[in-house]
Amino acid sequence: MFIYLIKRLLAVIPIILFAIFLMFVLIRFSPVDPAEAYLAAANIHPTDEILAEKRHEFGLDQPLLVQYVQTVKDVVQLDFGNSYVTNTSVWQEIATRMPATIQLAVSSIILSLVISVPLGFLAAVYKNSLIDHLSRLLSYLGASIPQFWLGYVLIFLFSVKLDMFPVEGRGTWQHFVLPSITLSLALIAIYTRLLRASVLDELENVYVVYGRTRGIKEKTIMVKHVLRIAISPMLTGLGMNLGKLLTGTIIVEQVFSWPGFGRFFIEAIFNRDIPVIQSYVVLAACLFIICNLIVDLVQLYIDPRISRKGMAQS
Amino acid sequence: MKKFKSKKGLLIAFITSIFVVIAGCSNNDAASQSSEGAEGAPTSIVMSWPRDIGSMNPHVYNPSQLLTQSMIYEPLVSYEEGGKLKPHLAESWTISEDGLEYTFKLRENVKFTDGSSFNASIVKKNFDTIMENKNSHSWLGVINVLEKTEVIDEQTFKMVLSEPYYPALQDLAVVRPVRFLGESGFPEDGDTSKGITEPVGTGPWVLEDYKKDEYATFTRNPDYWGESPEVEKVTIKIIPDAETRVLAFEKGELDLIYGEGAISMDSFNHLKESGEYKTDLSEPVGTRSLLLNTTNDKLADLKVRLALQHGFNKEAMVDGITLGIEEEADKILSTNFPYTDVEVEAIEYDVEKAASYLDEAGWKLPSGKAVREKGGQSLELELMYDKTDPIQKAMAETLQAEWSAIGVKLDIIGVELTVQIERRKAGDFDVDFWYNYGAPYDPHSFINVVAEEGWGVSEAHSNLPMKDELDKQVDKALASTNDAERQKLYGTILKTLQEQSVIVPVSYMKKTVVYQNGIEEFVFPANRDEHPFNEMKVSQ
Repeated sequence: MFIYLIKRLLAVIPIILFAIFLMFVLIRFSPVDPAEAYLAAANIHPTDEILAEKRHEFGLDQPLLVQYVQTVKDVVQLDFGNSYVTNTSVWQEIATRMPATIQLAVSSIILSLVISVPLGFLAAVYKNSLIDHLSRLLSYLGASIPQFWLGYVLIFLFSVKLDMFPVEGRGTWQHFVLPSITLSLALIAIYTRLLRASVLDELENVYVVYGRTRGIKEKTIMVKHVLRIAISPMLTGLGMNLGKLLTGTIIVEQVFSWPGFGRFFIEAIFNRDIPVIQSYVVLAACLFIICNLIVDLVQLYIDPRISRKGMAQS
Repeated sequence: MKKFKSKKGLLIAFITSIFVVIAGCSNNDAASQSSEGAEGAPTSIVMSWPRDIGSMNPHVYNPSQLLTQSMIYEPLVSYEEGGKLKPHLAESWTISEDGLEYTFKLRENVKFTDGSSFNASIVKKNFDTIMENKNSHSWLGVINVLEKTEVIDEQTFKMVLSEPYYPALQDLAVVRPVRFLGESGFPEDGDTSKGITEPVGTGPWVLEDYKKDEYATFTRNPDYWGESPEVEKVTIKIIPDAETRVLAFEKGELDLIYGEGAISMDSFNHLKESGEYKTDLSEPVGTRSLLLNTTNDKLADLKVRLALQHGFNKEAMVDGITLGIEEEADKILSTNFPYTDVEVEAIEYDVEKAASYLDEAGWKLPSGKAVREKGGQSLELELMYDKTDPIQKAMAETLQAEWSAIGVKLDIIGVELTVQIERRKAGDFDVDFWYNYGAPYDPHSFINVVAEEGWGVSEAHSNLPMKDELDKQVDKALASTNDAERQKLYGTILKTLQEQSVIVPVSYMKKTVVYQNGIEEFVFPANRDEHPFNEMKVSQ
């Protein structure tokens, strides 16, 4: 297990290096000069003097190879430098904004689990019943409605018309409701269908019939055996989405004025704030890897057969 | 298969509880933000802004916002309606006959919010730190000609220029960088370009509470030297999305939506037509123009430029695209700027005239073809627009259709703003959108870019036969110490530019404001970048 963990963690290194390379190339391929983008954001006309000064300040007047080597050196040491726009340490910017993003991601995941686990499970158990149809409808909606549109509709209905929740901002539990629903609907759509399909598969297994003939309680069979195994694919999906949620709340943060890192990243892209973009790409790569690793470990715990299979193979 | 009756009950209970919780929650947050407070409650205004207010450093640009910088820091002279300059932190001033020395008598009994006095020493200290980073401010004319500053006595400050430059006072009225930070706001090394310790100004507002990316609250400065604003508290919520801003306003979480581009034209008209709110449009803040580059052989011909200007229905285009918010522009500069009330001939929409100009220029329409040709070359041009600007895009498409009717093929290309600026500066365009700078920067900044290279405008004019003469007139106007002579020079310059049609005025852009009925009076500030809260009146 320890070796497995080490192997997985070591795999982070080439991925991060590739991410840095890709990011460096893409930014340099862009026709937009970060120094000009900085000045445009400040409403300053880019005279040659100011441009030269800014390029020097940002290190953009160095040869590309020197810039690349410096970028790799800095990023490997997790030194992202200062944001071009705010002139503040990128780590400080992350520390200010990440808690808001994490809160939103966690609340959305909790909401999607709370709804999709019972819904998916019951939709399978009561196949073709009203609840199954309801779950199907919810899945269709969740999969087809764009997040920004859903956000606006929820604000219009529940904030402007019904005055139940604030339109934007952060501070009270009410502020969490609409952004969390907006983010979680798409997840509910996926998880509900995943779990339903998985539970239906498990119900076909002989161990269910065997359990019943042994007189084991139906509830025990379903919860301790069927659900426990059936939830595995859903957890994989969750792991993949956790990384996406922590880095991908951008649209929802924008619509609900949620002061998270996603919103900051959007501004950074427009302003070609390279240190912020770099930090985001590296953190996103790390997050995806770590989230997937955690999910794999949880799966090993839930379904020991995976672990045994893995050991037998090795 | 055995069904789970107890689970069903659990599910119903769960769904019911969700509805109970949702129904039970009332949004008391919004109520607490209301501006029309009960009797005795402080009068407050809540508005939104798309970006965080930043570090509130008066001498730097990003990420500090002009709106909030202008609430805390004040200029020596202020820019008023029609370009009139009024004493502000300087009570009076004298200008030497040669136009090189500006001596300011500073207002007495003005205190910074740290309790320190506003005097000539602190003014000099501010100028010194600004001039230490001269390059960053080289876009501002006065910085380039400022030779030295002197403290004459406690309340007298002198500025010496290397050459006469009449807009020096207008440049001092801009929101940044020439505004004044109190002693305790300076960092130890005195260099504010790296940051300040706290926002200490002399202005009517004090930053009371601030949460990055969420909000900033300003209260009235109790020791303000001038007339205190009627509103006691201003909260600025950071809402980056324009549609969310409108929804928050409709719900009553915001008292006003103000700022250039703060609201889409569609939303402005929707709120206006609802009849539930007050709306207003400012005087023109700038002109939306087309820039025809004379370094392109086809556009070097005045007849082609005139044909293009005659060849599109400006009124219909402006009205249709801006939904009546912008006004059709006949002159390059609107007449609410100083020296701009000049008699010039408007170039009317006249397709026949456009066609005849093109014929005269030798661009003939071969039979069976849609694009005019001359010497085997077709009359094809490229229009560059900012792809994030929906108005530019719509106008580009309209021009493409309109000019095709007179036999001109227009290729339109959407680029990022920074690419647009870069290409304009390099003169790498045929036709481009361009805006002048507005108050307090114009008309002097406008004529300056007509003469000075590096902005794209001078380059676009470079093939005019009278370009050298035009440049001399601009230099003379900027250095002129005589008002009448200056007016005359402006008249000549603007007339030449209008006749030469390199800059094609399209529309006068205006600021919009939408506000709740609780606000009784809203006045647009004369300076484009200043905040509007000092003059605002709200009902109790």
